[in-house]
Amino acid sequence: MHSTRPAKITSPIVNLGELQSRLTPLALIVGAVGLVASLVLAFNFQRFSFIYLVNFAFCLTMCIGCLFFVTISHLTRAGWNVTLRRIAELYAMCLVPLAILFLPILLPLLFIGYDGLYTWSAGGWSVHTGDAELRTQLQNLAHDKLPPLEQLKAAYLNSGFFAIRWVVYFCIWGTMGWFFLSRSLKQDQSGDKHLTSKMQAFSAPAMIVFAVSIVFSSMDLLMSLEALWFSTMFPVYFFAGSVLSALALITLTSLLLQRTGRITDEVTTEHYHDMGKLMFGFVIFWGYIAFSQFMLIWYANIPEETFWFRYRIDWTNGWGLLSLVLLVGHLFIPFLAMMGRTMRRNRTFLFGACIWLLVMHWIDLYWLVMPQYSRATMEGTSAMGFISIISDLACLIGMLGLFFGIFCLITRDKPLVAMQDPRLGEALNHEVH
Amino acid sequence: MSNETENQTAASTEDQELVGLLAQFDDPDSLIAACNNAREAGYKKMDAYTPFPVHGIDPALGIKRSFLPFIVLSVALGAVVIGLGMQWYTNGGSIGGKSTDSFWPFPGYKFQISGKPYFSLPANIPVTFEVIVLSSAFATFFGMWIINRLPRLSNPLHRVSRFKRVTNDKFFLMLEKKDELFSETESRAQLDSWGAVAIEEVNQDLTDTKLPAWFTPLAFVGALLLMLPPVAIFGAYGANSRKPRLHVVPDMDWQHKFKTQVLSPNVGTKDNVDYLFIDDRAMRQPVEGSVAFGSMMDDSEMFYGIKKDAFEASMLAKDARFQLASTSSEDKDGDDAAAPAEDVSQWITGFPEGFEVNQAALDRGQQRFNIYCAVCHGYAGNGDGLVNRRALALAANGKAKWTAAKSLHDPVVKDAAKNPTGRIFDTITNGRNTMGPYGAQIPVEDRWAIVAYIKALQETGIEPVAAGESTDAEADTDAQAATKTEDAKKE
Amino acid sequence: MATTVDPKQLDNTLDDPAERSPLVTGGLDYEGVTDAAAGVWDADRPPLLWWGLLAVALSLLGLLGACVNHLLMSGTGVWGNNNPVYWGWPIVNFVFWVGIGHAGTLISAILFLFRQNWRTSINRAAEAMTIFAVVCAGLFPGVHIGRVWVFYWLFPIPTEHLAMWPNFRSPLLWDVFAVSTYATVSLLFWYMGMVPDIATFRDRTRSKIGKFIYGILSLGWTGSSRAWHHYEIAYTILAALATPLVLSVHTIVSFDFAVSQLPGWHTTIFPPYFVAGAIFSGFAMVVTLLVPARKICGVENLITIRHLENMNKIIMATGLMVGTAYGIEFFMAWYSGVEFEKFALSNRAFGNYWWAYWIMVSCNVLIPQLFWIKWCRTTPWFMVIVCIFVNIGMWFERFVITITSLSRDFLPSSWAYFHPTWVDLSMLVGSFGLFFTLFLLFCRFLPIIAMAEVKSIMPHGDGHH
Repeated sequence: MHSTRPAKITSPIVNLGELQSRLTPLALIVGAVGLVASLVLAFNFQRFSFIYLVNFAFCLTMCIGCLFFVTISHLTRAGWNVTLRRIAELYAMCLVPLAILFLPILLPLLFIGYDGLYTWSAGGWSVHTGDAELRTQLQNLAHDKLPPLEQLKAAYLNSGFFAIRWVVYFCIWGTMGWFFLSRSLKQDQSGDKHLTSKMQAFSAPAMIVFAVSIVFSSMDLLMSLEALWFSTMFPVYFFAGSVLSALALITLTSLLLQRTGRITDEVTTEHYHDMGKLMFGFVIFWGYIAFSQFMLIWYANIPEETFWFRYRIDWTNGWGLLSLVLLVGHLFIPFLAMMGRTMRRNRTFLFGACIWLLVMHWIDLYWLVMPQYSRATMEGTSAMGFISIISDLACLIGMLGLFFGIFCLITRDKPLVAMQDPRLGEALNHEVH
Repeated sequence: MSNETENQTAASTEDQELVGLLAQFDDPDSLIAACNNAREAGYKKMDAYTPFPVHGIDPALGIKRSFLPFIVLSVALGAVVIGLGMQWYTNGGSIGGKSTDSFWPFPGYKFQISGKPYFSLPANIPVTFEVIVLSSAFATFFGMWIINRLPRLSNPLHRVSRFKRVTNDKFFLMLEKKDELFSETESRAQLDSWGAVAIEEVNQDLTDTKLPAWFTPLAFVGALLLMLPPVAIFGAYGANSRKPRLHVVPDMDWQHKFKTQVLSPNVGTKDNVDYLFIDDRAMRQPVEGSVAFGSMMDDSEMFYGIKKDAFEASMLAKDARFQLASTSSEDKDGDDAAAPAEDVSQWITGFPEGFEVNQAALDRGQQRFNIYCAVCHGYAGNGDGLVNRRALALAANGKAKWTAAKSLHDPVVKDAAKNPTGRIFDTITNGRNTMGPYGAQIPVEDRWAIVAYIKALQETGIEPVAAGESTDAEADTDAQAATKTEDAKKE
Repeated sequence: MATTVDPKQLDNTLDDPAERSPLVTGGLDYEGVTDAAAGVWDADRPPLLWWGLLAVALSLLGLLGACVNHLLMSGTGVWGNNNPVYWGWPIVNFVFWVGIGHAGTLISAILFLFRQNWRTSINRAAEAMTIFAVVCAGLFPGVHIGRVWVFYWLFPIPTEHLAMWPNFRSPLLWDVFAVSTYATVSLLFWYMGMVPDIATFRDRTRSKIGKFIYGILSLGWTGSSRAWHHYEIAYTILAALATPLVLSVHTIVSFDFAVSQLPGWHTTIFPPYFVAGAIFSGFAMVVTLLVPARKICGVENLITIRHLENMNKIIMATGLMVGTAYGIEFFMAWYSGVEFEKFALSNRAFGNYWWAYWIMVSCNVLIPQLFWIKWCRTTPWFMVIVCIFVNIGMWFERFVITITSLSRDFLPSSWAYFHPTWVDLSMLVGSFGLFFTLFLLFCRFLPIIAMAEVKSIMPHGDGHH
């Protein structure tokens, strides 16, 4: 027969404790060393900016996904995931310090007009694209009647407005992250259920603002790297990857915390099962969005759009292989592997699956960003030499070091699980039927 | 313990056989408790019956997890192959250079659309996906019923009137007689001790399993009747009918439009006919001076083979074009040799400006010549084409009238002064003597290509053979020789 | 028996984080649920209102039949379709009805997977509505093919005399597969969910014919726990299959437009945007139907205000998604710098069909915002009005996409204005007749509430609450 668990936190350790003081300096040092090593190894500021962008976007998307997780939980009055929500809240709060990590991208653009990364910041980009054939087409297009595209788009794509937009995005995300975390922490003390009501009331309008910010930030951050290209689906693609990586990150963090003896009683196999289901669902959703975007552009075959994909599925420049890796590794393998119920209930398997999905998400971002570098420098695969790969990995390690340093700094001694949420009992007794 | 015994039929007759004992419970929790007790007591052949799926009853009854998902998964994987294979096959995919469009008896069909490949994975994903989902759904739906051994319309449980509440608000546990531990009295006592509200015997009526006497003949007749429509359809397949066909869409069959060369609508009365247009015709004339698409023939050398100045001069005269373009009609009846010397100064002697004589043009000319001209003039231009020979043979027997085709190697024909290229072009375009016009069949460029090829043929030095004199055998060798020369020239 | 409590006295829309509001009000027990759900079916004769509505629906159905007959006899020229608007109202109606047909499967499948227990009271009616809407949807392309008697050419059937197969690279053929798969799977899903409830009817009915028909339809269901076990697994699998299916259907419908090169049609956001729009219109239709149906059938304790409120929240959310997509389309048309795109979008808002565009925006984006106010989303008569506006707006959305874009294509010399004919109009109205006839018959003869499912989420049902 079933016994109902009381709505009480029973784990012996619920915060990072001494782990935090040990990990923080280590993570920050690894971060700094990694980034410097990457810059030195790349020996090329342009290449470093691109790989920095990949890794920054990696951290940013995970945090954005966590913010979405928190907001949608409140919006739908979810009870089952209360014990996992705090981890997501802490990651969402990381969006505030992430603004500082955005400065290496923003400052060169803003103050020295650096156009190596965002080519639109220089004049005449529309006719200085790497592809000779496309260049000719565009020159023909931009004959006397039509003003050049950069003139048309300059109203949006200029460094000043770009900077203003990013300030706005970080304000939105920071406010949301701060609001949810602070209210939730307050509830840990008081157990006041009205705080939950407030968060629920806040979540609805916040979701609208959040959606708008995602639409434009995804276009600014990644789509505008190729200023000629446009796809209305792109924000959804960005969103799908963000949420998938966030789900993997939350699950992974929880599993790691439990391995170190924290929050052992609160997160059960039932929760992992549901997180596994959600990840499975978002793997399909990502595949659906990615396929639809590719399919529509491939089928209509309009030059303004296809060049972006053509470059990425070209076998001769090496990017075609990466596209295939993405198709198989980001869709087929997780789809088949995570289909079974037994797999989703197996923590060791889930641990590996989360790491796999995060790696795939990183490759996805690499695939979005780096071909722009080889286009800009017309280097093709030669841009991907051995040293370059080492530099890329150093940058990844560095950025992750900084990211987890930030996470530790934000977490400090805060509880890693919501202590007195009114729906705690529901979460603790959660069972997958 | 309840004393209710509501069995409608007598407790035990010859036709009755006990199946098991059915115990009623009023809430799910007591049912689960009873199930646990029964399992612990060692019962294996038992089942619970509930109005809705009761959570937690599966472990209590010891039900193993369904293997349905694996059935569905294997069907889905098969559907990937079937879905993709169907599209590949039907749309003329190819393997090892061999396309399915030559397969028997149902060949694939190649759709040539926007230059897209016949089989391309992205475009075939949607249908493959739908095939997977459809097959999996069928596998789930039918698999589930088969695993549950349903439909089963005759079930002894339905004979227990109390059991009607199972689809409403009551919960039941049945211990089956098949179980080793089952004994009517002991099991009844056990069920009673587990808190059953009521206990009933479930009896199978053995007569239930017999078919009614009327069923077999009726089913036989029904099956025969069901076969009629398919038989009728197959019978009608490919059948002919003398009746006028059914007009399902009259608007499509009798369209509101004017066909060519008919009268315009009558706007007057029946007696006093007044057609809408003054010329009575429904078709309208093109506006004065309009030129039909592709009919702009402004280069007289190209389109008529006539020198520009000669053409312009003759245009000054009325109906010049008619005279110039139809020189052939004037000397239709006259014999060529007897006719007064023809003025050939108007014809161009070379080729028009827009036409370039090169190997490609000659190849094209040869190909067109062999199609259009060789049937009469022969492949070598000796005037010994198949039609000509056959016609002459018939004419010799008096069965036909035939003017022999000219040999192109005839000195008169060959003479550039008497027969300039422009005139040859005109001959092809408008015909000459009994030769018909080919202008409608052969485009201008191709006509010039033929002219070029004729000039090339005439340069080969083939001796003219008088028409009609060559025997069949000779003609054959001639043709072979000519083909050989041509082949050599090609190489 | 059930105690009768005026549902208005019980407010289960309170949003208290500490405890979940009941989904079945009126203090009903299991038997009470059965009695309430089978109320209209139990009655010897249906209410007078039912007869009245059926009469109206049947006359509209007759109009539809007459129009289809006229169409088949005269050809598709009786519609207003012209050059270049080759796809006129029939395709608008098709997309409209298919969109409505998404809510049912969404409620049964996606909300099931997300364990939204409130779906149990409404899923049966919504699924039925789905199937009837798909029937209406299938009608339009069905008669649009011209020679309906050779409709089977759409399917890959080996024939000697045709010596041809469907072109599998055509999005229209994908449609054939998607919609027919969707109709089939929805039907299976609906029927499978209904079997235990049909068994209830079998055990309740007093008439001999009823016993025979419901006996066969219930397949001998006994509610055995082993059967329930496989049944629940099968239900979950079907839900898991139906979820991507429901997405794929409207995605493929959007492909009809988006794989082309026509400005206003070719945009990559179409798949999720169409799906969101479909959910939006489908939910609006469910609310429109259920508010009167719960009254007529007396199931106010099962389909409570809370259910309706939840639906209205989803309507509002999907409405905002659709609104966002309108915005993205506009922005991207400008951002792309492609002059055709820019023209197509500005033509929508300020061209010949500006009125259609602004009807669409106000009905789909502005009016549903009323649901921010709690009174608006918990007052039955008011929400019906809003939902009818949503349905009007969603019909106009399809009108805007199809007709505005087609009437102004690349070649200004072939621009034309589209005028619907009386046949267009009558067929749209008539399709509602078909829809309502089927729905009214369903209300009378089949279980409109998934009784077994409702019982399983009642406090006793789970056994451990």
